[in-house]
Amino acid sequence: MSSRLTPQPFEWIERARPLRFTLEGEAIDALQGDCISSALWANGVRILGRSFKYHRPRGIFSLANHDINALFEYVDDTHLRGDVTPVPAGINLTACNTLGGLKQDRYRWLDQLSPALPVGFYYKVFHKPRWLFPFWERLLRHTAGLGQVRSSWRRRITPKWYEHCDLLVIGAGPAGMAAALTAAEAGADVILVDEHPHIGGSLDYQWTNDPGAEAPRATLKQGVTAHPRIRIMTATVAAGYYQDQWVPLAGPAGIAKTRSRALIVATGVIEQPAVFRNNDLPGVMLASAAQRLIARYAVKPCERAVLLVANAEGYRAALDLQAAGVELIAVVDLGEPAERGPLASKLAATGVEILAHHGLYAASGKDRLSAVSVAPLGADGSLDDTQERWLRCDGVILSVGWAPAAHLLYQAGATLGYSQTLEQFVPLELPPGIQAAGRVNGVFELQAQIEDGRRAARAALAELTAATDVASEIKTSGPASNHDLAQYRDPNAHSHPWPIVAHPKGKNFVDLDEDLQLEDLLQAAREGFDNIELLKRFSTVGMGPSQGKHANMNAIRVLAKVLGKAIDETGSTTARPFYHPLRLDDLAGRRFRVHQRSALHERHEQAGACFMEAGAWQRPEFYGKAEQREARVREEVAAVRGALGLIDVSTLGKIEVLGRDAARLLDAAYSMRMTRLKAGMTRYALMVDEAGVIIDDGIVGRLGEQQYYLTATSSHANATYRSLTRFALEWGLQVRLVNRTGQLSAMNLAGPNSRRLLAELIDIDLTDDAFPYLGLREATIGKIPARLMRVGFVGELGYEIHVPYHRGAELWDLLMRKGQPYGIRPFGVEAQRRLRMEKGHIIVGQDTDGLTTPFEVGMSWAVHLKKPFFVGQRSLQILKPGTARSLVGFELQPGHGWPEVAECHLVIVDGDIRGRVTSVAFSPARGRIIGMALVDSEVAGLGRTLPIRATDGVLVTATQVAMPFYDPDGLRQQADVQRQEVA
Amino acid sequence: MKLIPLPDLGPHPVTEFDYGGEQSRPPLVADDATWAAHVFNRTGAPGVLREWWYHRPTGGWYLFERDTAQDRFLRSIPVQDICYELPTDTSAV
Amino acid sequence: MPLRLLKFALRGTDAEPRFFPPEQPLADQYDIVIIGGGGHGLACAYYLAREHGVKRVAVLEQGYLGGGNTGRNTTIVRSNYLTPEGVQFYDQSLKLFQDLSEDLDLNLFYSTRGHFTLAHSDSALRTMRWRAEVNKHFGIDSELVDRQRIAKAVPEMDLDCGGDQPVLGALWHAPGAVARHDAVAWGYGRGAWQRGVEIHQKTRVTGIRVEGERVRGVQTNRGEIACDKLISMVAGFTPRITEMVGLQTPIEIFPLQACVTEPVKPFLNSIIVSGSLHVYVSQSSRGELVMGASVDPSVLHSTRSSFGFVEELADKLLDLFPLTGRLRVMRQWAGMSDMTPDFAPIMGTTPITGFYLDAGWGTWGFKATPISGKTMAWTAVNDQNHELIKPFRLSRFTDFDLVGERGAASVGH
Repeated sequence: MSSRLTPQPFEWIERARPLRFTLEGEAIDALQGDCISSALWANGVRILGRSFKYHRPRGIFSLANHDINALFEYVDDTHLRGDVTPVPAGINLTACNTLGGLKQDRYRWLDQLSPALPVGFYYKVFHKPRWLFPFWERLLRHTAGLGQVRSSWRRRITPKWYEHCDLLVIGAGPAGMAAALTAAEAGADVILVDEHPHIGGSLDYQWTNDPGAEAPRATLKQGVTAHPRIRIMTATVAAGYYQDQWVPLAGPAGIAKTRSRALIVATGVIEQPAVFRNNDLPGVMLASAAQRLIARYAVKPCERAVLLVANAEGYRAALDLQAAGVELIAVVDLGEPAERGPLASKLAATGVEILAHHGLYAASGKDRLSAVSVAPLGADGSLDDTQERWLRCDGVILSVGWAPAAHLLYQAGATLGYSQTLEQFVPLELPPGIQAAGRVNGVFELQAQIEDGRRAARAALAELTAATDVASEIKTSGPASNHDLAQYRDPNAHSHPWPIVAHPKGKNFVDLDEDLQLEDLLQAAREGFDNIELLKRFSTVGMGPSQGKHANMNAIRVLAKVLGKAIDETGSTTARPFYHPLRLDDLAGRRFRVHQRSALHERHEQAGACFMEAGAWQRPEFYGKAEQREARVREEVAAVRGALGLIDVSTLGKIEVLGRDAARLLDAAYSMRMTRLKAGMTRYALMVDEAGVIIDDGIVGRLGEQQYYLTATSSHANATYRSLTRFALEWGLQVRLVNRTGQLSAMNLAGPNSRRLLAELIDIDLTDDAFPYLGLREATIGKIPARLMRVGFVGELGYEIHVPYHRGAELWDLLMRKGQPYGIRPFGVEAQRRLRMEKGHIIVGQDTDGLTTPFEVGMSWAVHLKKPFFVGQRSLQILKPGTARSLVGFELQPGHGWPEVAECHLVIVDGDIRGRVTSVAFSPARGRIIGMALVDSEVAGLGRTLPIRATDGVLVTATQVAMPFYDPDGLRQQADVQRQEVA
Repeated sequence: MKLIPLPDLGPHPVTEFDYGGEQSRPPLVADDATWAAHVFNRTGAPGVLREWWYHRPTGGWYLFERDTAQDRFLRSIPVQDICYELPTDTSAV
Repeated sequence: MPLRLLKFALRGTDAEPRFFPPEQPLADQYDIVIIGGGGHGLACAYYLAREHGVKRVAVLEQGYLGGGNTGRNTTIVRSNYLTPEGVQFYDQSLKLFQDLSEDLDLNLFYSTRGHFTLAHSDSALRTMRWRAEVNKHFGIDSELVDRQRIAKAVPEMDLDCGGDQPVLGALWHAPGAVARHDAVAWGYGRGAWQRGVEIHQKTRVTGIRVEGERVRGVQTNRGEIACDKLISMVAGFTPRITEMVGLQTPIEIFPLQACVTEPVKPFLNSIIVSGSLHVYVSQSSRGELVMGASVDPSVLHSTRSSFGFVEELADKLLDLFPLTGRLRVMRQWAGMSDMTPDFAPIMGTTPITGFYLDAGWGTWGFKATPISGKTMAWTAVNDQNHELIKPFRLSRFTDFDLVGERGAASVGH
């Protein structure tokens, strides 16, 4: 603990709670409250990481969540940012992106190679000859990326939740705290959020030794902490701004998705580096980083420091360093010290050498800083390197300027512009509901920041109370709100317009994430990438994990200089979410999946069903073990054909249509006539879209003059309900629709024995005259109220029975029990598919595609073009003459086995694709494999061959045959035949 | 997350809605080309569109005018304003 | 180590030529004007100059080169489409891509990774077989593979997807690749400029002069230009341009979002797409996971991001790759996709003589860059649609002769 200072007034460390971790095997003593970087620095460790491209040693630079070169990992995590991650007790950390460890990183020779690797070099090499590129690519991939992903990692569940408030204040520095307090006192419900573990912001690291800060600090910190209407969320990042005041707040517990009615951005500024040779050596750091080290962690940043300053903050930092016992070798001012205010005079009085109008030319040292050279600035603003003078030091502290942390303002649609006065971007116009306060708004003096916070709060509240839906308890108190955003802005620049020094040997870094030197940006501009976005994309400036927080501003300055344009004309790059990166685990949150379960699901499980997913539903594909699939399916088919089967069809859409215009609605929505349907009868219903393409089918039944009931395919149930609802509105119809899909259980009892079983249980007459084919009846089965439709999808005598959801299992049990003597057997989706195929019935979406019309699948009979209107009718009138495809039935030779013909195998005639198989399976009824194919009409024709390119590309010749394949006259589902058979 | 202002129920998150697309009335008497244009063509350019939105929790359709450049919901349109008569089915029972 | 690097080290980079011209004045007249300085526009300019010797060509770009969907897509190149029209078109594109780094003398990092389209349902599996069969018919390396094959190639994947919608199989497309998207635009831009094409950035078209159903010129924020041939290659801005000439199209604009993680050491070699989970992911040459989903559900002319998109994507991605949960999403963005009803582009001549359309690229524009440029150049020069793009003509929406590419989606439910 060599460089730990005496207790600091606002330190975050807890001296009574020591802990220990290791870095690449070396034990590190730390204190609770340390971050990884502060603990290492306190222990004299200076190489905290290696840079991305050249593997140069890097130390502490910002200590503000963008020290991207100090990334650590261990067996259970990676990309831990040393400058913000709390020390992990007992963990063995290693640095990301080294080969053989921090000190001996075997990639460090890359630094020597840098002249051969200028900006964008990879675009210009490795691609000739082409066949060698994969070799180079493999080589390059070894050097790509930072951390290591481990295959043992599993999803970690973290919660997400919602927060609501009147006002969300982002940033708990002086301006943010003042804003929160003002708003809360006026009655607003406030959330105050800060990315650091403690509130206070710059008050507690930049203003620590300022007596004038004591009173406001106490008032603000105690005020916001104690106020009942302020909720404080620390260690929480406002990750982005999204439409309608939607801000995810990412904290240690998870992500709070927050909706506020107003938002104050008091996010402060991000300190910007000076660019000179070797400005990345460990020991070179931003003044705010040095101040954070001292104030938060009581760690001495260095022993002998040289400061480069261009603002009053630099002198404040110098005094802070002095107070921490750091020897100040020199303060190098890029401008005139006399203009820096009283702090400069105060420092001068201590006898420190202050060099006016000087700059830093280069730093030097092996693996850590040992000296820096200074030189006077010439009249043109460039350094006079002939007068270079070296100063021995182990710290170079930079205080040359700031960039606003305006990311959320940009995302919210604010307009920012460059202020020549402040040499900083400031907000010019803010969208409704958004305010900015404090340094992000160009307000630097402490009291002014506080006033600006209050102003922003009043402005936000005035907007809220002006809104019509406002909560009345918020009072606009105090003086008439002055909404002038610029009222408290500083009259002086706190940033230098050109903190950049060229050097013939380079290594003057603009972007530390991406190892980009000044020359790289200049070269990119020379090659024509002289637009800020092109510059960014070619050079990758600002593309690293910190997203350019310390690089973008200087890149814009460089480009403006190259182009001879103002900063505003040069532009800024877009600040996309996130402000800091968020973990995929946290973004995902808990895992929710919607499951829809039939009332009969447990029955299927008990019966050993093998399930298949159908949207959110699980449906039995067949009953039995996976390896018995074919045998079981055939048994199920045989049961339905020969005795009795029962299938759960609860997934079908089930919709009631009631009211005066019910018939008109259905007549116009479906292609068949529905008005003439008699009560107590059903009819097949085909739905096409406006382009005439088949989108759904089902059954429409009429229960009474103004009462219809219909079914839709499982996957289209909700869409059909939505369409019908909308048609009713568009056509001004008096009709009411009820989607009962989830309320009702449905099952199809099918097979020659179905009537006999049902007759035992039902309270109505099932004879053919009383309940004919396609009839619809309401009845009671056992004690269960049911609606029955006599349909023939699978081609046998059958009844589709719809009952309330909670009675579904009861009915299933009853039918299964009483059906035993009739040979009942449950059947699944696969058996149903085969049964219906034998009948030549299509499945929408399987036997049709995104362009299929009814004419193509032989369903002209379902299209009544002479009706006055139905959806898609006009298109079908146009399409009918040009029908170019046909759905044909085919069969293979009996005994055909290999090569297997599967659905979606192609029909190939004379080497051309002429169609595809849409359905295919073994037909027990025909004793051979049968199928359907959607083919060009030119190749369709009964008795003609159908060459199919089967598995392994082998051509199989099928023969086109008439459909239905089974019971072509539909006698099986007709009662008379049935009666004879049964008799 | 985007909020959609329902006329009677206040703002609701966009995730509760299904987008129904641009509202347009079919030309009931039209030549083939006019009809095809109705079926396929859309107002593609940014501007104020009349669109259908289906609110799943209440099972209701809503019509809004929305600025598709700014994603701003400008007003809700009473459905009566856009409904049209179906051609009469004289042969209906 | 290539010699070029040695040259950089010894001689520096001062002599490196420019990629693009500095700002220059607009001429009064050009033979052909291209609206849109993205990949398509620059490729078209390149082929006009290189293959057809057209002398006076200008590319007008309202922002910066490649700043639209060229720079916003997830860089995937593949040709495993569903329709014969689509397959043949994209196959030509892929072949051009394979030679492009050499052609343009620019390393586009064209990296053949192999591409899995996962099937999580019986019907999806059927569609994959359909695609595989059509692909194989045209000689495309594409096949239906089972879980074992996927597990072997991508051991990091949880084929059970956390318990729901397990992977049943996949369409495997070995030539599937990724490339540096920006560089494609830069390479074409540089090649075009070297051959005499004028490239004007920050030049926005404000109007189009049409006389007697013929194009006569364009108005821009920098003045008016005369031209007899005008090609619109502006993706998400297409409706604004077609409106200027009074042309109706089926194109609607939907945002397509994407995001990228911090770069990590390479662990994912293949490109993975899951239509059911609405996820596609690959790992870039820098090590970032580049991810996207399907287009947003409603029309919007904006590149705003939504938080819901990343939440949903993260949730589904972790079903497939539970090990990536520790990775952090660094940045999200969006592009504006110009969608058509049949998921196929609109290319070629229009009812207005001299006005050519290259649009309707939806979410597939990047992979079509070379072939679009090439066929549109031929089309503009000959004033008739190139054979490969005939199926994509605008008039198909009048003739009810749509392309079946959407069939893949329709069968997928």
